[in-house]
Amino acid sequence: MTKSAISRRNLLVRAAQGIGLLAMSGCEKVFDSLSQNSTVQTILEAAEQGNRRVQRVLTGEDKLAQEFSEKDISPKFRSNGNPPPITMEYAEDARNQWAKWRLEIGGLVKQPGQFSLTDLRAMPSRTQITRHDCVEGWSVIGKWKGVQLQLLLKQVTPTPDARYVVFRCMDTDDSGALYYESIDLTDAVHPQTLLAYELNGQPLPVENGAPLRLRVENQLGYKHAKYIRSLELVSGLEKIGQGKGGYWEDQGYEWYAGI
Amino acid sequence: MDLVYRHNRITRFTHWTNALALMILFMSGLMIFNAHPNLYWGNVSQADRAFFSIGAANDDGDLRGFVKLYGREVDTTGFLGAQQTGFMPTARAFPSWLTVPGYYSLAAGRRWHFFFGWLFVINGLLYIFYNLAVGHLRKFCFTPADAAKVPAMIAYYLHLRKTSPQEDEYNPLQKMAYTGVFVILTPLILLSGMAMSPQLNIAFNWLPAVFGGRQSARSIHFILAFGFGFFVFGHVFMVLTQGFLNNMRSMTTGWYRKKVPLAAKPIKAAAPVRPDIAQALKSKPEVSSSLSDDDAEKPLSATPASAPQTAENETLATPDGGKKHD
Repeated sequence: MTKSAISRRNLLVRAAQGIGLLAMSGCEKVFDSLSQNSTVQTILEAAEQGNRRVQRVLTGEDKLAQEFSEKDISPKFRSNGNPPPITMEYAEDARNQWAKWRLEIGGLVKQPGQFSLTDLRAMPSRTQITRHDCVEGWSVIGKWKGVQLQLLLKQVTPTPDARYVVFRCMDTDDSGALYYESIDLTDAVHPQTLLAYELNGQPLPVENGAPLRLRVENQLGYKHAKYIRSLELVSGLEKIGQGKGGYWEDQGYEWYAGI
Repeated sequence: MDLVYRHNRITRFTHWTNALALMILFMSGLMIFNAHPNLYWGNVSQADRAFFSIGAANDDGDLRGFVKLYGREVDTTGFLGAQQTGFMPTARAFPSWLTVPGYYSLAAGRRWHFFFGWLFVINGLLYIFYNLAVGHLRKFCFTPADAAKVPAMIAYYLHLRKTSPQEDEYNPLQKMAYTGVFVILTPLILLSGMAMSPQLNIAFNWLPAVFGGRQSARSIHFILAFGFGFFVFGHVFMVLTQGFLNNMRSMTTGWYRKKVPLAAKPIKAAAPVRPDIAQALKSKPEVSSSLSDDDAEKPLSATPASAPQTAENETLATPDGGKKHD
């Protein structure tokens, strides 16, 4: 009786081990196929909506991202993503200190506008020392100076049906696809949302997005569009790019990158 | 066989939901870690300041995987850092069989992680509120009195002591483990996870500092995940060694068979001729039962199997009452 109980236990343990091993190799295949199944992914994406809504409610109004002091600034501000634009035009603009470059703002606005870098520098500026968090997991602290996006939006006056700001960029991936990003108006008018032209007291370096880049401190790095050429106000994102609201979003990353 | 109704429907449902959520959170978390397999203390991540890294190095044309902790390097080729895939090794911090998904996709790993993060929280709240309401949670509560019994309990498990110091439904080590998970591990892993969110860095901009900065929060989140892994390992080990089928039955159907261990044997000799021996044997179970009254893990004394005296603490707040089958 005791003996058979022991061997039965052995058998059970062996069986459990076997099932475990099978499960491990099977698991990988199951999760891989579930990760590529559109129905499953739609269900999982429901959490994204939850994250955005709950986090927005928790955030409330007029709260600011943590700002740091000069001594916290990282020695090097890491750059990531696409290499800088390789067009002749970009190289020439860079040589001429962006004298010919213009930021165009259009779409659902009452007064479309064009702004030179000098125009932007002449506007009231905000300087902030903030932490930049990449979706990959790393963080770096830098000091940014730029124009609050809300000031620019006031100048162009969005129409009532404008819901998003789309950022058109000059950098491309190896297939030639242009980078773009989008944020909604709630984030666009946040006091720390800047179009930055200076990093750590210097004109924005080429690898960090010269001449102008976005700072949207409530979201991860991939939302911070670099090498901005134009802004477009739109009511929906479906017709832009592949319809997900950004270069990385089109490749499966979440549009809401607050988490 | 004496079956008792041990786990009600809510406990069983939340247990398996939790098991699934923890597994996917752990494995998708490893996928997310693979995107930047280095850990730091403080706010920022300076490449040369990582205290922990998993990486791959080219060693004379061979890809070699390594784990580095505070400058000390261990070769882990084949498991961590470099994984054998098909013809040649591929650089990969955690191997594909440990991550969700198995192929490299940070976007998909994040999607799994955040969905099951919500499931873990909602499921946990359901469990906690229900068990608070029925008063079950205090049975897990690790008290100073339990702390005093921990050495004796360890001695008992190591067979250095014959009697278990357990007096309640859960033994002191179980209480320590569960209380640790409830009041330390779970809150800290949730908060350290939230401390990594840039939006919550606006809502609660003091939160990363609680952990010593965002990168510290990330490191702590990673370490705590292995705390959960350690708990699950211990839990599964106990299930496997303390009656796998019986435990699985009680967590799927609710019904648990009480152990009738060797200690009950002398009862067999309850028909000795000498009245003095009979007297001595008779008094014995009474002494032991007064020392340790009700207890699910403990031998039921010599009373016939159907005696329902312990049923009240098992059937507490079960929808289908003291119903028994088998």
